[in-house]
Amino acid sequence: MEPVVEVRALCKQFRVPRREAGLGAALRALFRRQYTTVEAVRELSFSLGAGERVGFLGPNGAGKTTTLKMLSGLLYPSSGAVQVAGHVPAQRAPEFLRSISLVMGQKRQLSWDLPAVDTFEFNRVVFDIDARDYRRRLDELVSLLAVGEVMRRPVRQLSLGERMKCELVAALLHAPRLLFLDEPTIGMDVAMQLSIREFVRRYNVEHGATVILTSHYMEDVAALCPRILVIDGGQLRFDGSIEALTRRIRPLRRASVRADSLPSAEALAGMGRVVEVEGGRLVLDVEPARVPAVVQALIALPGAQDLVVQDAPLEEVMRELFRREAGAEPGR
Amino acid sequence: MSHVATDMSGETGGLRRLGRVTAAMWRLGASEALAYRAAMLVWILTTTFPLVSLALWHSLAGGGAIGGYGRAEFTAYFLAAFVIRQMTASWVVWDLAAQIASGDLSTLLMRPVHPLLHHLMSNLAALPVRMMLAVPLGLVVLIFVGDVEADAGLHLLLAPAAVLIAWLLNVSVQIAVACLAFWVTSSASLFELWLGLYMVLSGYAVPTGLFPAGLAAVVRYLPFHAALGFPVELTIGRLSGPEIAAGFALQLLWLAVFGALALWLWRRGLRVYGAVGA
Repeated sequence: MEPVVEVRALCKQFRVPRREAGLGAALRALFRRQYTTVEAVRELSFSLGAGERVGFLGPNGAGKTTTLKMLSGLLYPSSGAVQVAGHVPAQRAPEFLRSISLVMGQKRQLSWDLPAVDTFEFNRVVFDIDARDYRRRLDELVSLLAVGEVMRRPVRQLSLGERMKCELVAALLHAPRLLFLDEPTIGMDVAMQLSIREFVRRYNVEHGATVILTSHYMEDVAALCPRILVIDGGQLRFDGSIEALTRRIRPLRRASVRADSLPSAEALAGMGRVVEVEGGRLVLDVEPARVPAVVQALIALPGAQDLVVQDAPLEEVMRELFRREAGAEPGR
Repeated sequence: MSHVATDMSGETGGLRRLGRVTAAMWRLGASEALAYRAAMLVWILTTTFPLVSLALWHSLAGGGAIGGYGRAEFTAYFLAAFVIRQMTASWVVWDLAAQIASGDLSTLLMRPVHPLLHHLMSNLAALPVRMMLAVPLGLVVLIFVGDVEADAGLHLLLAPAAVLIAWLLNVSVQIAVACLAFWVTSSASLFELWLGLYMVLSGYAVPTGLFPAGLAAVVRYLPFHAALGFPVELTIGRLSGPEIAAGFALQLLWLAVFGALALWLWRRGLRVYGAVGA
């Protein structure tokens, strides 16, 4: 597959002023400012194919958003090479800008005091959208996101979720081939998160667009992205599927069951590691190879019900990954 | 041959597109200006300083002309200063510096149009609303003061050009100062310094012709005079042919200096953009 995003040894450093606390330090800083160099992104390399849905995961300040901004041409890389849709993003060629879209949960492109539909119309002209395409896409987006009424009210009067839906319409009217989403569901309730997630998936499938997502909500990423890049300290720590990551970090599978009577502690120790035993409920971590045998044993318990075997939740996997030494080998 | 033809149609297509985009920006800016009309009125009321000067000099000139200005000339001068300041004003320094500091500039950078064009158009789009508010105010003052004297001649045909260059000069200075926000916090407060000098040296409070002879000669070469005093004096017909030519030359010179500086700072600034929450 021809890559649409190609990143080689990408670095970004910021020079930020720093000083100690207190008035004295503030006065000294007036005359001699001290700077520290923050390495936001270090030697990052990866490539993405057309139509992929990829999630960037990492703790705060890991360099996810900085990377996203370099991909969309907002920031100049300090060194390294980036190619997106055949362009060098920082040159911000009009053709490039017409083929991408960046949605930031904490920023808005809609004009605050005007109805969203005014910004849509503005984007039609600025992005050179054919009048018929515009009509068709607007109708489609408006009905999918149910913003027919909402888009005619001044943006400042909209709720967070309503506003984000309108932001998505504005971002997608020019049918971008690449969609960058930076915390698109931040601060939203679960129902709204679900509907936006579903919408993004649908857009990806129907338009074959490449989607890159950063989100604090692991659920967003787990549900949307077959491939994840884990970034920490500006470096790539993992690139692959969530299943592969989970297998590597937490190879044990988690089995849980309810039963009228549970096996003895001795018998349990033979099955796996006990996580929880309480009020007829049992949770065990089991070696993958032993899962079939353990399932058979559990299902045979008197009154057994609600038997579930699953991978450890992504949150736990991530927590464990970041707890490990930074020296852990990055890799695919 | 066909290659040339495609190129040329590409060129006109590009121009037509630029026209459409500019018109769309103008419409959006005008809608915003209408939404902010109350704030705009307050702002206009804060720029009525020339009308205060008018009252002052008008009464001082009761005892006879001062430096070639009689009562009627003072009225013409300060009414023109008030209206031309309205037409050439810009607030891009505050908007742009805030956008750079907060990272809201990103929105403009993601559009396939130059962000500075957006600022130019949003300024220009507010012009009709500003005029609707300012002209009646000027008329009320005119009726109140009564006498006015200004030459209506060919120079009036040149006045729009001088006002346009003055506006571009103001905008260039403001963009240059705003771009400092790429490196320092609160660059817009630096502009207060410029504004302070402008108030005194542009002919806004006092016609520069009334300054002591040596000082006046220097002041009339500065960008402040090019940004206000010159278009005002041109409009009310106080300048001779050679003075008009020299005034335009100075205006264009300052515009070239500050225009180049603004673009240079803009390009350099984008390279370091993003240190703060872009």
